[in-house]
Amino acid sequence: MKYRALAALVKMELKKFIRQPANLFMNLLFPAVLTIVFLFTFADPEMGMGINSVVPGLIVYAVIFLIMTVAQSFSSERQEGLLRRLNTTPMTSSEFMGSRIITHMLISIVQVVVVITLAFLLGFKPNSGIEGILLALPVVAIFALSSVGLGLITATVSKTPEIATGLSFIFILPMMFFGTFIPLTTTTQQIASFIPSYYLVDALKMIFEGNWMNMNILLDLIVISTVSILIVLVGIVLFEKYGSK
Amino acid sequence: MSSDIKTSLERFSRKELARIAEMKKIKIPQNWSKSLMVELLALNVSIDDIPNAETEPLAHKTMSDGTPIIVLRDLAKEFEEVIAVENLNLEIMEGELFSLLGPNGAGKTTTINILNGIIKPTKGTVTISGFDVTKNIDDIKKIIGLCPQEAAVFKFLNARENIELFGNLHSVPKKELEDRTNVLLELMELTEASKRKAGGYSGGMLRKLNLIIALISDPKIAFLDEPTIGMDARARRKTWEFIGSLKKKKTIILTTHYIEEAEALSDRVGIIDYGKLIELGTPEELMKRHRTKNLEEVFLKITGRRITEGM
Repeated sequence: MKYRALAALVKMELKKFIRQPANLFMNLLFPAVLTIVFLFTFADPEMGMGINSVVPGLIVYAVIFLIMTVAQSFSSERQEGLLRRLNTTPMTSSEFMGSRIITHMLISIVQVVVVITLAFLLGFKPNSGIEGILLALPVVAIFALSSVGLGLITATVSKTPEIATGLSFIFILPMMFFGTFIPLTTTTQQIASFIPSYYLVDALKMIFEGNWMNMNILLDLIVISTVSILIVLVGIVLFEKYGSK
Repeated sequence: MSSDIKTSLERFSRKELARIAEMKKIKIPQNWSKSLMVELLALNVSIDDIPNAETEPLAHKTMSDGTPIIVLRDLAKEFEEVIAVENLNLEIMEGELFSLLGPNGAGKTTTINILNGIIKPTKGTVTISGFDVTKNIDDIKKIIGLCPQEAAVFKFLNARENIELFGNLHSVPKKELEDRTNVLLELMELTEASKRKAGGYSGGMLRKLNLIIALISDPKIAFLDEPTIGMDARARRKTWEFIGSLKKKKTIILTTHYIEEAEALSDRVGIIDYGKLIELGTPEELMKRHRTKNLEEVFLKITGRRITEGM
């Protein structure tokens, strides 16, 4: 792997994120607005939903929307002939996919920072202190791998960026309803146990409570890491085989 | 019958006739004129001995001097039930500017895409600089530059950033990248706009940037697929001059709908239709062979339609 090529691709991806208003809106402004609106409307300690229990869900909310961004990005680059052109350069597949993974992990970290900063201003006080927040960053970044993978799978089956936008909700919606902060019943709890975002919310709750020295969090982290790595690998294989041309 | 043989033989140049004679082991003195060669061959060969442009490889019929850098052998590509390229045999020499002409859907871009490793051939082999495209594509990628038919540039980056990105992917040394970027931007008259996002460029400007990106790595071989399409007449002329200035320094494979562009620039021209190479030679040879004044007429005579038809 040539680090110069990797760095050039990451730089380009970050510029894409910053310079495209739709990307900025979907990945930063949207979670920011959601954080403000949800904390005002849903955070009600009397209903058992204090700010501290809503914030992990909001973080996950932001990261799962990366699925749409990734799907749109890959499908539009394919449509515009950019992937074909990049494929004729000495760039390797690992440099290309690696750059996308690094960029989206970095974006997920920025999302966590935005959501937590706003939540702080609205009264979020994690028991964990700053250590908990610092621990949350890599955990969320690992989960971002699953968003990249699901985005790749969506791009593989979508002919256009418009179709990719619509299809990405097949993955986004279940995670929104079964794995964020919406209260779960016994039945939905069972469905949620098959959804990776559920484990991230669970882990983040324990981290922010300062309760990270237990087996449950370790199990959550194992599930998050294993599932995310698996999804991103499946996404890469499928996209390279069926979606890149 | 004998007049048919003569008519068929007259289509060939002296060099090509010598090759036919060689194949049939007929000795012809070197100082013989073409008409004498035709007379002698007509007496000694049958109509079946004369290469047929539609069924036999033309690769060896007309060839500029030099070392072949791109060699296509029995190349074929089928997409489900459509035959895009059929039995293509061709040798392109180092430093040659070779134009591939053909109507829309003739198989030009498919051929270019096979040469670039973007798609795999169904049959046949392609070697570029001794490397097989299906086995050694990574080695090939280091020596080629592609200017695709569509302006494939990142619209949210400016021209310099686009060029820098592709230069970095080709590992062009930093100083060299900067100098080459400046020269190419200046030559293509894009310096002033180079710090504006490409999304705001006109079609012609995007085409210029598309071409610069293809050349930023100073490739040994450049594939220029319709590089001037969508440019105004002035920009097109300027680009032709620029492509012309690259002759002999690089091997260039050009596809174009501007037949006068091919006529003015090319060392050799190959005409492709329905996936088959139906004519090959220098522009002068083709005009002479078909007794026409320009390549456009050659094209019309061979394919029965104008190159711009169906555009």
